[in-house]
Amino acid sequence: MIEKLVDKKDIPKLVKELTEKYNFYAPIKVNGNIEFKRVENVGDIELNFFNSKIPPKEILFPRMETLFTYNINGKNIEIKEPEKSEKKNIIFGIRPCDAHSFVLLENFFGFGEFKDKLFLNKRKNTILMGIGCNNPRNTCFCTSLEGHPFKKEDMDVFLVDLDDKYLITPITDIGKEIIDALSWLVDAKKPDLEKAMKLSEKAESLISTTLDIKDSYKILDSQFSNPIWKEISETCIGCGTCSFLCPTCTCFDVIDEEDKYNNKGRRIRIWDTCQSCLYSLHTSGHNPRNGGIERCRNRILHKFSYYPTNYGLIGCVGCGRCIQLCPVNNDLRAIIKKMNEINKKEEKSIIA
Amino acid sequence: MLDIYIPMLTNIKSITSENKANDIKTFEFVFQKEEDLNSFKYVPGQFSELSIIGKGECPIGIASSPTEEGSVKFTIKKMGTVTSHFHKREAGDVVGIRGPLGNGWPVEDMKGKNIVIIGGGFAFSTLRSLIEYILHEENRKNYGNLTVIYGNRDSGEVLYRSDLEKWEKRDDIKLVLTIDREEKGWNKKVGFVAPIVKEVAPSSENAIAVVCGPPIMIKTTISVLEELKFEDEQILNSLEMRMKCGVGKCGRCNIGNKYVCLDGPVFSLAELKKLPNEY
Repeated sequence: MIEKLVDKKDIPKLVKELTEKYNFYAPIKVNGNIEFKRVENVGDIELNFFNSKIPPKEILFPRMETLFTYNINGKNIEIKEPEKSEKKNIIFGIRPCDAHSFVLLENFFGFGEFKDKLFLNKRKNTILMGIGCNNPRNTCFCTSLEGHPFKKEDMDVFLVDLDDKYLITPITDIGKEIIDALSWLVDAKKPDLEKAMKLSEKAESLISTTLDIKDSYKILDSQFSNPIWKEISETCIGCGTCSFLCPTCTCFDVIDEEDKYNNKGRRIRIWDTCQSCLYSLHTSGHNPRNGGIERCRNRILHKFSYYPTNYGLIGCVGCGRCIQLCPVNNDLRAIIKKMNEINKKEEKSIIA
Repeated sequence: MLDIYIPMLTNIKSITSENKANDIKTFEFVFQKEEDLNSFKYVPGQFSELSIIGKGECPIGIASSPTEEGSVKFTIKKMGTVTSHFHKREAGDVVGIRGPLGNGWPVEDMKGKNIVIIGGGFAFSTLRSLIEYILHEENRKNYGNLTVIYGNRDSGEVLYRSDLEKWEKRDDIKLVLTIDREEKGWNKKVGFVAPIVKEVAPSSENAIAVVCGPPIMIKTTISVLEELKFEDEQILNSLEMRMKCGVGKCGRCNIGNKYVCLDGPVFSLAELKKLPNEY
């Protein structure tokens, strides 16, 4: 049988074997929050978790990343590319929604003539060993975005938590290689698979939100001037949490850091957000998105209209972070519902 | 460009002050590596991200024409951090360039057409590139009549004086210069760009109008062009937008689903009318 089992008490053994060969990332509790971090001690791993606050995209697209370093020697300047690590990464414990966000990120950074090699090289060297969500949060809505708490297609290896053990299913060739190398794993039996199936069904039933998002972009295309954006942005304080912690957001700022006294420095990129007024401010003082209405509208339209139009994918995976972490309780699901109602109203008026 | 974020290094060959206020200068760059020069194949209307390494980067339109081989020119107005640092540089200094970026003027589609170029103020640099390109001996035969209308606040702000003198001597370009108010010694047109366009009344027959300048000038000029029966498809603009990466990744220069850095900066009026009014 292709499916294997690992006892929870044997997880340290599994982790130890994998950390020898790979940069091994897993959920770790830091100051009360779950973060995906490089594992130093197996005991730090926390697998009893909903999801991390900061999405694991951070491993491939860090908050701060060096684009190049430079040295100045008199009038001459020497530019050096950042060093590449060829060691492969494993992200252990990634949730299906975040694994799906990697598909979106890979598509975005690889789109068109200009390829973002910084991201793509790391993605190429990264293996996803994810775990299904037995207990989705009440803010989760992946099933509205063709996702599922047990979706395994975006992973290399998929695990299911069966209380005292994990069911392990290799998905891709590289996933099979990894599992084959762990020769001490035992074969799963039929009752294990049945139990996993039941857990999957239960998890799906726990997601209470069902939204029809597939065709939203068609209607949104013509809703730029709809007064709904004013309503949506009224309570927003523009903090940018929704976009900083979004697994699909990719915007960044570029800054030069100068070490003047040592005649060297670097150019870095850092996460940026379209919710900041500085994001689109021209040097002349003109700002095409000068207010909260324009900025809230841009975030929603980018994910649900521009992204599908440009790449044929919806720019959201339904992880619910922006809902759970919004300081003023703005709810993306409510916004989508409102958008869909525009749709219905318009249909009515066409019939009338 | 080998890597989309890593600038190619160039040396400043010459710096020309363009206006009386001395806040607009044209910089001529020569690439340090021959392979970079060879890879830098551009059309008029494209832009580049220019770096003062350690200070930052900004997008600037290319002012030279690809027919002027061996170097590349940019006209930079002192506006923010990076452009101010450019104004402190001297000949010989090293600066970085990433590019060419953006779509540029559709010089292939414009072949066989009469060209009307209308510029206001500082936004003349990529128009200079286009004029120089059309006037090149190998290209001139591919285009019909060339009319250039170029307006400025006062005579001290007129850019590219030596080029204008050179062009004025030719009989295959109609050059109309105007300033906003009368000035001693100014023997050309006086008045805003839009009324001068009306007075010159270029025919819309088989023509393309290229309009660059401050928003109010563009608005008034477009209404005059519409009176002259120019269709939206016949009017071209070049947009400015805040940019960081210039290659469609950093996110901020979008208008609707279009990125000004990738899909622009050149858009026809017909294309602009389809986009949300957010620029």
